Amino acid sequence: MKNTFLAILAFSAIAIGLNSCSKASTTNTTNTTTEGQVLTDFAGNLVNPNYQDIQAKASIMNDAVTALVANTTDANLTTTRTAWKNTRAAWESCEGFLFGPVEDNNYDPDMDDWPVNKVDLDSLLTSTNPLTVADITPLTTTLKGFHAIEYIIFGVGSTRKAADITAREKVYLTSLAQSLYNTTTDLRNSWDPTSGNYTAQVINAGSGSTAFSSRQAVFLALVGSMSDICNEVANEKMQTPFAAKDSTLSESSFSHNSIADFTHNITGIRNAYLNSYNGSTSTYTLSQLVAAKNASLNNTLLSQMNAAIASFNILTAQNVSFEQAIYSQRSSIISIQATINTLKATLEGDLTTFVKTNIKD
Amino acid sequence: MRKLKVIGLLAVFVLLLVKCQKSAVFPAAQYDDRLSGGDETVFDATSQAFGNMFPNLAAYDTHIHILGDLTFNQTFVTAPAIIHGGLGPIFNNTGCINCHHNDGIGLPTAGDQQSSLLMRISLPGVDAHGGPVAVPGYGLQLQDKAVYGKLPECSVNIVYTTQIITFADGAQIELRAPTYTLSNLYTPIAGTYLLSPRLAPPMIGLGLLEAIPESEIIANADPNDANNDGIKGHANYVWDAITQTRQLGRFGWKANTASVLTQVATAFNQDMGVTSSVLPVESSYGQSQYDGLHDDPELPDSLLNAVKFYAQTLCVPARRNTTDATVKRGEALFISAKCVNCHKQTFTTAVDVSRPYMSNQVIHPYTDMLVHDMGPGLADNRPDYLAGGQEWRTAPLWGLGLYTTVNSPGYFLHDGRARTITEAIMWHGGEAEGSKATFQNMNSTDRDALLKFLQSL
Repeated sequence: MKNTFLAILAFSAIAIGLNSCSKASTTNTTNTTTEGQVLTDFAGNLVNPNYQDIQAKASIMNDAVTALVANTTDANLTTTRTAWKNTRAAWESCEGFLFGPVEDNNYDPDMDDWPVNKVDLDSLLTSTNPLTVADITPLTTTLKGFHAIEYIIFGVGSTRKAADITAREKVYLTSLAQSLYNTTTDLRNSWDPTSGNYTAQVINAGSGSTAFSSRQAVFLALVGSMSDICNEVANEKMQTPFAAKDSTLSESSFSHNSIADFTHNITGIRNAYLNSYNGSTSTYTLSQLVAAKNASLNNTLLSQMNAAIASFNILTAQNVSFEQAIYSQRSSIISIQATINTLKATLEGDLTTFVKTNIKD
Repeated sequence: MRKLKVIGLLAVFVLLLVKCQKSAVFPAAQYDDRLSGGDETVFDATSQAFGNMFPNLAAYDTHIHILGDLTFNQTFVTAPAIIHGGLGPIFNNTGCINCHHNDGIGLPTAGDQQSSLLMRISLPGVDAHGGPVAVPGYGLQLQDKAVYGKLPECSVNIVYTTQIITFADGAQIELRAPTYTLSNLYTPIAGTYLLSPRLAPPMIGLGLLEAIPESEIIANADPNDANNDGIKGHANYVWDAITQTRQLGRFGWKANTASVLTQVATAFNQDMGVTSSVLPVESSYGQSQYDGLHDDPELPDSLLNAVKFYAQTLCVPARRNTTDATVKRGEALFISAKCVNCHKQTFTTAVDVSRPYMSNQVIHPYTDMLVHDMGPGLADNRPDYLAGGQEWRTAPLWGLGLYTTVNSPGYFLHDGRARTITEAIMWHGGEAEGSKATFQNMNSTDRDALLKFLQSL
């Protein structure tokens, strides 16, 4: 009895000893066919449609500026402002996945550099420069793009009237709107399969792509860009004016459009996760890849994305702009920042680890 | 007898447990050679690979790094401005990131918004501190852009001529050699002047290079080629404008800058026209472009130091494919071709109890931090302190295999003339003539193995 007992004990000990030496072995890879389809849908259902939309909205804004310059009424100014906000919405949304030509070819700073170089802009307006598109093209990026247009059509404090827009500003505005449209066209073409076709670089990752040696590299670039925009919104665009208690330091300070900017930035993250643009749905998504292996992480991410997008409701429900909230609703701003930083931590932590662990090709 | 059985079984159990233990002393042979930056290595091979923060910074240090990152990414504008004012009046670019795109190597063009090539200028001779002589009206660096209403100092024009190089096995590549000319000078320059192009270098591992003990660097100097290997590295000692002392030069393509702080403050001052407490005089002072504003220093110390800290605490990417047989063979070829005699693999950083993340790290930068004669092909013929007209600092090779990923298409060498690593190797001359010749005489299998090794860095 004792012998048997000792033998069992000893073999148990050996078994435990052996067991402690071996690592758990599970299949840690996502379905490679699905990975490829996710990338195809990312380009086809999100990036290309988003860039097409930015161009379409920029075209509408360009037309609105033409009408405003021809007939400078407050009604036409309002139309132009709305067109600016709509273009801005499409643009800010694509900042949820800011990698590829938009960065490599500097379309981002060409359209969206900040702050406006007001000293030079005012000098330029009083100069004798022709202010044609060709004339403004070589100018520094802080004299062009969304915020230069915003400065002219909204003005400091968003107080401008149509009658305030000078003849020189009209010439400049016309070229700024055309120049921005030209850049959105370049951006669209850069991914268009019939033109620059960066789409092919993404969908052929790991099999012929010169930009991405693996699919994992694309997904890491994507997740990195998703967390980058969280950081930019919570810790830069919000934090700088908040810490200085100075609303003139907010990015869209002339139009007071910051909450819309921020919301579209974070919506862009969810769009990238769901390969969705303007409510479209995709069969193959990063969310699906995650859910197949880790349903809990997928639920966490979706809930944190939704929470981050909804976090601005605390201000919009009271009809308070971010520029006002800097002074009057400081605790609300802190809670919004915390919600976005929670999402950022999950993107940088668990989702990045998931991609590194499960996407092996 | 029963006791023996029990003892025997227990002994087996103990042995099994012992087998699971790691050895107490970590043998050097088992060191993970992917860890190019020691503890400060990041496993990231994407386009963002050069932009990662040291992983083990304390919360406050993390805050400073992020503040530096934001400032590094910020575009500056003409003063007075509500924020980020002080650009110019003359400058090369409007923000750090516009040259160090993705914290990587720059674009070798001049005059465009994203151009990352600047031009140093000087008169023949040496100044009171043994450095280059400033050109009246221009200083030591040409600023080819200006804020609205001010004149840039000049335009820089780049023309390439090409030549075909043939390997021993008959394979051929094209090399391109740049020629630089100036036009639109805002005021004439009397007499002969010297020019030297400098491409924005990658930002990785600067803090670790700064932490290598000076004695370790000097120990590799061999100015008289005492070991008779044809290679004579020596240190560049330079005047440091911030400490007002003579220091070992560590940074810049000719090792003409002593510290990361000096490098950062000089870049703000000379590249962007933004003054700081340590370099408070506008680059345009005494020139017609000078703004005459009493707003210096334009950059708060908090931001200067944050950008310095940011530059010091960017990780080095881990190597890839280190166990690949071809990569290992390429490494052996790298050593046998004596590339390693200058591109020194390993240093250990100094012990620094106040900065544990920087302290006592075994790093693999593939540089000896010394300057070497690289031959007439690469020469700028513009001495910079003790670095002669044909001498350049051994460029660190860590991260080399990711240059084309981080900055597509990626360029190499001090002026970006090389479009591939092969071209860069074939531009080596002077003390590296023998190594280049060895590479040129290799068959394509060996060349590919060597390149595969370099791609793994």
